[in-house]
Amino acid sequence: MRNKTEPQTLGELLAASVALAKDPSAAGRWFLGSMAVLAASFAFVLYQLVAVGHASFNTSSDGVNWGMAISTYVFFALTSSGLTMIASLATVFGFKQFYPIAKRCIFLGIITLVAGFSVLALELGHPFRMLWTIPTGMQVMSPMFWMGVFYAIDLVLLIIKFWLMLKGDWDSPLSHQVGNAGFVAAILASGMLGLVFGSMAMRPMWYGSFASIYFILTAALSGAAAIIVTTYMAYDFDRKQMPAELKTLASSNQFTKVFAALIGITLVMIVTRFWTGLWSNMDGLEGFNMLLRDPLFHVEIWVGLVLPFFMMLSPNSGLNKTSQLVAAFLVLGAMFINRYEFVIGGQLVPMFKGNWTNSLIAYTPSAIEWALTVLGVAMALACYAYGEKVFDLSSTPSGKAAEPSGAVRAAG
Amino acid sequence: MAKWGMVIDLEKCTGCQACTTACSMENSRLPGEHWQDVIFYNEGEHPSAQMKWFPRPCMHCENPSCVAVCPTRATYKAEDGQVLVDWERCIGCKYCMIACPYGVRFYTEEKPAYGGPDAKRVFAADDGHSWSPPWKGPAEDWKHGVGVQPSDVVSKCTFCYHRVAKAPKGTADLDPQNPALREFTPACVVTCPPGARMFGDLSNPNSEIAKAIGNKNGVRLLDQLGNKPQVYYLTGEGGAVPANRSLPPKKA
Ligand code: SF4
Ligand code: SF4
Repeated sequence: MRNKTEPQTLGELLAASVALAKDPSAAGRWFLGSMAVLAASFAFVLYQLVAVGHASFNTSSDGVNWGMAISTYVFFALTSSGLTMIASLATVFGFKQFYPIAKRCIFLGIITLVAGFSVLALELGHPFRMLWTIPTGMQVMSPMFWMGVFYAIDLVLLIIKFWLMLKGDWDSPLSHQVGNAGFVAAILASGMLGLVFGSMAMRPMWYGSFASIYFILTAALSGAAAIIVTTYMAYDFDRKQMPAELKTLASSNQFTKVFAALIGITLVMIVTRFWTGLWSNMDGLEGFNMLLRDPLFHVEIWVGLVLPFFMMLSPNSGLNKTSQLVAAFLVLGAMFINRYEFVIGGQLVPMFKGNWTNSLIAYTPSAIEWALTVLGVAMALACYAYGEKVFDLSSTPSGKAAEPSGAVRAAG
Repeated sequence: MAKWGMVIDLEKCTGCQACTTACSMENSRLPGEHWQDVIFYNEGEHPSAQMKWFPRPCMHCENPSCVAVCPTRATYKAEDGQVLVDWERCIGCKYCMIACPYGVRFYTEEKPAYGGPDAKRVFAADDGHSWSPPWKGPAEDWKHGVGVQPSDVVSKCTFCYHRVAKAPKGTADLDPQNPALREFTPACVVTCPPGARMFGDLSNPNSEIAKAIGNKNGVRLLDQLGNKPQVYYLTGEGGAVPANRSLPPKKA
C-alpha cells in the first residue's frame, strides 16, 4: 500500500520541508510559525549559555538540582512512551479499530522523544562528552545509564517501524516483531526513567518501585491525550473531514473508554501517593504538604483530571467532539504540571543542610528554563506540521486514507 | 590498601569554621562553595531551643550512592577509599548531587552563593579553567578532581587527595602534630585549632582513629541510609549527630 506521494529518501524529506515552508497555505504558515518560535527560543538559549553559562538556570547546589528543563524532558519522554503504547493497541494487541491512529502515534512518538532529548542535551553541562564517556564507563549500576540505553533502542525501533509503515509494510513478520520490540522498549524506557527517581532512597518523595509503575501508567495517559489533540488538529478540528475509519473511531466510545480508564488510574495513583505522603511522619516527606498548598496542584487535579474524567464517562458528552478535545487539552496540561510537581517536588526537602536552607526549598524557573520548555514544544509542533503535511499519517493497512484537508489549519 | 577515614570530635569542635576556610584556600574554592562546611541549625522551640553546629565534609562513603548513579563513571572510588570526580569525564548531569544524602556536591556553574560580585567574572580565566582565583594552589589534577576545575562539572571534597596520596605507604595515622606527616594531612585536619579532627587508616586496627571509634563509640551521619560514611563523629556528652534533615516538625 505504498503511498507514492510520501518522500522516501533523505533528499526528498528535506525538499519537502523547503516546499512546506514556501507553501502559502495555513499548514505552511503553521510550520513557519513554529519554526520561528523554535529558532527564537533556540537563539535565546544559546545566547544565555554562551554569555552567562549554566548559571542562567535557577538551580543550585543546595537547592533544586534538577529544574524545569528536566521535568520538560520527562514530560516529552513519557508522552513518547505513551504514544507507543497507544499505537500498540493496534500493532501489537491486534485491536484493529485503533489502526487509523497507529501511524500518527508512531510519528508523534519519534518527534516527542527527539524534542525531549534536545531539551535534555541543552541542560547538560557537557552533552557531547557523554557520547564517549557513557559507552566507555558502562556503569550498569546507574538507572540513568539504562534509561539512556532503553530510550535509544526505543527511538531506533520507532524510526524503523515508521519507515516500514511508510513502505506500506504493516503486517509482515518483521513489522510485527519491530512493533512488539518497540512496545517492550517503551515500557522498559519509561519504567527505567521512573527508577532514575524511584531508586533514590535518600529522597523519600520519589523512593520506591511505585515511581516506575506511576511513570508507565501515566505515560499512557499523556500519550492518549496527545493523539486525540493531534488527530483533531490534522482535520481542522472537524470530524466530518476525517476518513471513514478514523471518523468511526473518533465517534465511537472505544477510545473514550480507554481515555477515561487511564485518567481514573492516574487519579488513583496521584491520590494514593499524596495520601501516604501527607499521612506519614517519615523524615523527608514534608514536601507533600507544600505541594498540597500549591494552587497549580489543584488545577492539575480538579480541572485537568477530575473534570475530563467525568466528561469522558458521561455517555452524551463522551462522544462529543468538543468535549473530547477539551478533555484532551486539559489532560495534557495536567500532565505537564504533574511532571513538574513530581520532579521539583521531590527536591523540596533539603538534603542534610543547615544555615541557609533550614526549611523547604523555594524554586521558580528562570527565563532560560522557560525558553527550553518553549523550545521543546515548538520543535514538536514544527515537526508535527511537517509530518502531517508530508506523510499520510492517517493511513491504515486496509487502505489509503483520504488526505487530511488542511493540516493543522485551524490551529494556525 | 589504606582506607582513609576521618573522626570529628563534636565535644571539641567549637564551630569556628577554620576548617572551612582552610579547605577553601587549599582547594581554591569559590565563595560559598564549601567542600567542607560547618552547618548551624536550631533544634527545638522556645523556651528550650538550642543552636547547634555540625561540621560536614564529604563522607567518602563505603557504599557511595554518588558513584553508583554516575552514568559515566566520572565519580569513582579510588584505591585508598577516597571518592573522587574525574573532571574530564563528568557531563554535568547532576545525578550524583541528587543521590548524595549529605548534600556535599557542587555544580560549578551557578549564580554566586552570596550576593555581590560574581567571583568567576571578577577573576575570569582565559584558559580551560572555570575561573582564575588569585590564591590558586600549586596542586592541579583534573583526573582526581583537584585544583581549579573546568566549567560545567561537579566538584566535591577529595579528602585532600593531592596531600594524602603522597603519604608513606602503610601510615596508620596522619597526625598533624608529627612534622614528618603534616604536609600529607588534609588541610582541615591541620588547621583545626582545638584538634577536633583525626585522619587515618580505618582498615588498620592499630590506628588512633580506629581506636577512637571503638573506644568512644563513633557514629555516622544518617547511617540508616546505608551509605556507610568513612567519616565518624564522637558525640561524647552533649554533642549530637542529627538524625534527620533538621526541618521543623509537621504542623497538623
Ligand atoms: S557523602 Fe555524598 S558525595 Fe561523598 S561519597 Fe557519600 S554519597 Fe558521595
Ligand atoms: S554530574 Fe558528573 S559526576 Fe555527577 S553523576 Fe553526572 S557525570 Fe557523574
